[in-house]
Amino acid sequence: MSAVIETRSLTKVFGVNGNAVHALRGIDLVVARGEFVALVGPSGSGKSTLMAILGCLDSPSAGGYSLDGQPVEGLSGSALARIRNEKVGFVFQTYNLLPRATVARNVELPMLYAGVGGRERRERALALLEKVGIPEKAGRLPAELSGGQRQRVAIARALANGPALLLADEPTGALDSKTGAEVLGLFQELHRQGHTVVLVTHDPAIAALAGRRIELYDGLVRLPEAKAA
Amino acid sequence: MRFSGAFRQRVAEAWLEIRENLGRSALQALGIMVGVASVLGGFSISDSNQRRSDERWRKLGGIERMNVQPAAAMRDGSVTALQRANLGLRNDDAADGEALNSKAVHATSVQRFARARLRSPNADQERQVSGIGGDFLPLNGYEVEQGRAFSMTELAAGAPVCLLGAEAASVFFPSGDAVGQTMRLGDFPVVVVGVFRELVFRWREGEPNAMAWRNEIVAVPSALVAARMQGDRYERVDRMTFKIPELNLMEGFARDLASLLKANHRQQEDVRIDDIAARMRKRQSQGQVYNLIFMLSGILSLVGGGMVNVNIQLASLSERVREVGVRMAIGASSLEVFKAFMTEAVLLTSLGSLGGLVLGVGFSKGICVFLDIPLFLAPGSFFAAFFVASAFGVVFALFPAWKASRLSPMEALRYE
Ligand SMILES: Nc1ncnc2c1ncn2[C@@H]1O[C@H](COP(=O)(O)OP(=O)(O)O)[C@@H](O)[C@H]1O
Ligand SMILES: [Mg+2]
Repeated sequence: MSAVIETRSLTKVFGVNGNAVHALRGIDLVVARGEFVALVGPSGSGKSTLMAILGCLDSPSAGGYSLDGQPVEGLSGSALARIRNEKVGFVFQTYNLLPRATVARNVELPMLYAGVGGRERRERALALLEKVGIPEKAGRLPAELSGGQRQRVAIARALANGPALLLADEPTGALDSKTGAEVLGLFQELHRQGHTVVLVTHDPAIAALAGRRIELYDGLVRLPEAKAA
Repeated sequence: MRFSGAFRQRVAEAWLEIRENLGRSALQALGIMVGVASVLGGFSISDSNQRRSDERWRKLGGIERMNVQPAAAMRDGSVTALQRANLGLRNDDAADGEALNSKAVHATSVQRFARARLRSPNADQERQVSGIGGDFLPLNGYEVEQGRAFSMTELAAGAPVCLLGAEAASVFFPSGDAVGQTMRLGDFPVVVVGVFRELVFRWREGEPNAMAWRNEIVAVPSALVAARMQGDRYERVDRMTFKIPELNLMEGFARDLASLLKANHRQQEDVRIDDIAARMRKRQSQGQVYNLIFMLSGILSLVGGGMVNVNIQLASLSERVREVGVRMAIGASSLEVFKAFMTEAVLLTSLGSLGGLVLGVGFSKGICVFLDIPLFLAPGSFFAAFFVASAFGVVFALFPAWKASRLSPMEALRYE
């Protein structure tokens, strides 16, 4: 069975010649189905850049990436949109919910883009909200919710089309530690149910809960041996 | 197509979007509304005015006419021998003119003026008398209301018959029984065979009738004037009129007629040819200038509204682009985002335009009431206003989508 994530010498350069920033310098990463990976590293080490590429939100400057066995390089914009829609669930630090759409509609949106009919969308959105523990908030606006609740909405939305991969870039970064722990518990639960999760965190305690820990440093994966040396 | 239920679904989504962003949407629609209203208002006021002047021309007998009148045949103040010997405009000229191009000329009329003492049992006045010939009545906007018009034989023979304008009829026969009565024209009797319908045209409501003088007409066959009143065997006329419905034949006819008359008149250019249609074309192009001015002012206010719109859009641009980023992040392709924006924009501008049309009609009605002219709304104005405003609305609304579509989802999400 193929890996969910497989990258070969991924690099990402921002800017042009004079003040180019080499955010990623050659990442080789394989994540198998059902893994729970914690991505750690100092600020500016390239974690978010890598996550964006893994989520097909951005494209690498060079190198290869296969998601769920499918190479993504050279795919058209709409093909990438389809992958983001069907295969990836992305959870952001700042939630990125549509502020004027109700909670239920936020969760429904990925299904809308997948062409799911109205009634089924509504039912599935309610089931997902149930699953993340806030079914009573369906009719609310994001602004009426606490940070932890908003992040639950974002997770429900990420799960909407049953993605092969859940990506979360510092999902607890904006939350207090108690709520953060609850949200993290949700990710653990999802992992137990069989989801493949890659999660960026600064918190070593959180990282310890993950099945595997990958450390980025200056755009490269820091190998355990190098750390020991 | 990944959308199921495609169109209805998209419209429903757009409607939801509009409701979710009510403030922004309302302002946007308002901008369109004001623009449409001002374009439509400008157009319909100019149209109403145009319509007004068309109506006047119709009552004067239409614009498809060419008038020929004797010019004051003077050069350097004195009359040349040739001019004195010349006979002026004659009945024969009209006949020759008509024969010149029977395809272009659909009707011809002549008019000869005289002054005479007119007497009936009720009045005794000196008035101008019009000797008429040919198709004078339709060419000059007169309609017989009571009695009948002159017959061909009466016209040819110069029979002692007359037609009265509404005013003349009421002066000479106040009891309204003019038809069949006899009145004296100078020293011979004429029989009234018909009375014209009253001609009324007011530039504004409440103003005096601008065509009152035309109701004063006393018309007799021009041959009668020539034979009995002036003893003019050359049958000179004071005006001839040709009806030329095909306006593009008018110019050529005018040229040919000018050279014909010059030949008939011993190489003297002693007539004036007045191409009414050309005059009207000029007026119409003036009308178009007004239209253009109104259109420009409409467009200016659209641009003004558009600026407000752009400001609103720019103020919320980063927010909107980020929203587009969110949508793209969860699986919308830029094409889908674009379609959604398009639908929303079209829906919004349609709503705004409809409101604007209502507002514009009210606005023009108000101005027309103020100007005392009847309101006339041309369908073309609706389309123009609708189209111009919608184009603006769509362009302004699509800006964020276009902006975002050029970014990767990540860039759009981080857009400042
Ligand atoms: N859009 C961008 N344009 C220019 N530089 C960027 C951009 N995004 C990230 N960078 C740079 O790339 C490097 C890695 O950033 P990032 O992936 O956000 O790190 P992390 O998430 O680990 O803090 C940083 O030096 C950052 O300044
Ligand atoms: Mg980061």
